[in-house]
Amino acid sequence: MPGLLEIHNLSKSFDTIKVIDDFSLEVVEGTLCCLVGPNGAGKTTTMDLITGRIKPTAGRVVFAGQDITGLDEHVIARAGIGRKFQVPAVLRDLTVRQNLTVAYSRQTNPFWNLFRFRAPGLDQKLDEIATLAGLTDRLNERAGILSHGETQWLEIGMVLMQEPRLMLMDEPIAGMTESEIEKTARIFRALRQTTTLIVVEHDMGFVREIADVVTVMHMGSLLARGSIQEIEANPRVRDVYLGEQEAA
Amino acid sequence: MGNLYHNKTAQWVAYAAFFAALAAIPLNIDDDFLLNQLATYGVYGMLALSISLCWGFGGILNLGQGIAFGLGAYGMAMTMQMQTQTESNPIPPFMLNNSLDYLPLLWQPFQSTMLGLILAVAVPTLFCAIFGGIMFRARVSGPFFAIMTLAMLSAFYTIILDRQPYTGGVNGITPPSPFQFAGIEVDPYSPLAYWCVFFALLIAAVLAKLITQSWFGLVTQAIRDDAERVRFLGYSVAGYETMIYTVAGLIASVAGCLWVMLVQYVSPAQLDVGFSLSMVIWAAIGGRLSLIGSIVGAFVIQGAQSYLGDTFLSTWLLILGAFFIVIVRFLPNGLSSLLEAALGLLSTRKNGASPEQSNGTKPVPAE
Repeated sequence: MPGLLEIHNLSKSFDTIKVIDDFSLEVVEGTLCCLVGPNGAGKTTTMDLITGRIKPTAGRVVFAGQDITGLDEHVIARAGIGRKFQVPAVLRDLTVRQNLTVAYSRQTNPFWNLFRFRAPGLDQKLDEIATLAGLTDRLNERAGILSHGETQWLEIGMVLMQEPRLMLMDEPIAGMTESEIEKTARIFRALRQTTTLIVVEHDMGFVREIADVVTVMHMGSLLARGSIQEIEANPRVRDVYLGEQEAA
Repeated sequence: MGNLYHNKTAQWVAYAAFFAALAAIPLNIDDDFLLNQLATYGVYGMLALSISLCWGFGGILNLGQGIAFGLGAYGMAMTMQMQTQTESNPIPPFMLNNSLDYLPLLWQPFQSTMLGLILAVAVPTLFCAIFGGIMFRARVSGPFFAIMTLAMLSAFYTIILDRQPYTGGVNGITPPSPFQFAGIEVDPYSPLAYWCVFFALLIAAVLAKLITQSWFGLVTQAIRDDAERVRFLGYSVAGYETMIYTVAGLIASVAGCLWVMLVQYVSPAQLDVGFSLSMVIWAAIGGRLSLIGSIVGAFVIQGAQSYLGDTFLSTWLLILGAFFIVIVRFLPNGLSSLLEAALGLLSTRKNGASPEQSNGTKPVPAE
């Protein structure tokens, strides 16, 4: 099976500093790939490069057979890539319901949207996602007053509302309680049946629970790739990353 | 029940009541001069409405709304001027005074009233679409966009002032007789003129309200909140910003046409920076987040200026400035937020013990 997302020899330099250095990655459809690595390894920058927030210096990003390198953010999003940010980014002045509604972006044309007041299937989808995210009785609250965990969930819910083929989750469990983390793991495992995910995470316990494949980045390039057992047994990974974690 | 202020049905009832009150005015007023003056307030109301749409809902501060208003006004003045020119005397007098002995190409389409009206609205609207498109695609936003509109406004002001043979320069254009349409003369001091403005304001307000309630309106408010985030949902932020800026420009250009119809006069003063700033002040004082609030803001400030301005003369500007500072400091969302707060208090008192309310005040866990 060809990869849903293929990254070929991606590089990004800021001035003379190479942040991403000849990084390649292939994500097979229907799998959950965890991207791990020490701080500054270039995980979030890779997300930025995939979603078009920054443009690569060299290399290509291919999504579902289409070259999406250097396209605008909204074009890449429409192609079917949804993203949750490291610092949860929700629309704080809008209600939870409005946040989820606006994420249901099947029709994105500004002209046609002038004449649209509802969307087919929205109510059902919104109910489903709000229940999943545990936000059903918070729908009419302003998103700005939600707790950190709830904000994380709202943003995950927004990504789900987009119905993307590939979801990029940047540190989805940061600031969550133990039970919230367990619930997140459960839902990510369920999502894996129908969609493809790339999850950036530091918590190796969480990674162990959800990952099909683990990719380790170090200094902007690929350090290792394989199942969680292989990664944990890899001496180089232990050296630069896991050892450091155990020490901490 | 939540706050009545946010109830959609209640909002439409408020619109109906507001416009019913405006419709009752010509039936109860005999003073032609006063009626004309109230009609010009209606035009100012349209301008404040356009600012509210662009700034309040779209988050785009536009200090150059005078461009669309002024170009619309010039288009209308040119149309009305050409209505008074005859076959034997096709050149407006001010051109002859500037020793121009032929009708410039720029003026020729305005010989047709229909074409003139279309151009008066289409040219400013198209300008907004192109200028906005270029700016927003380059991700110029916030204060930078505001400064660009200001610069553009000054450029138009200078061009119009400078091209005296074509524009009448500082004197502007003063069409000698009222606007004629389909054989009807629209006397600026007649109820007919008032009704023209009334219906334009009504249509603009209803369309603007529908836009804010549409999916487009939701996306626009999301962009106002966090444009960066909205891009990753698949919406072209530049497309939405261009659209709302253009719709606001369209409303302002129609307001420009109506204004000339009421005063039979246009000059570069309509593109003066001060005038565009006062449009923003009307919306800010009335409440930029409320379309009707902005309209009321224009009525109140312009009304006060007409009556108190004569009494206080130059002190009036100080009073207005002080009032503006007080509003910005204590009511950043304008006078309409007072109503919002009052209705909010009312609804909490009524449903003090309902579960929905207690939910809203549930303490938020610390991060």
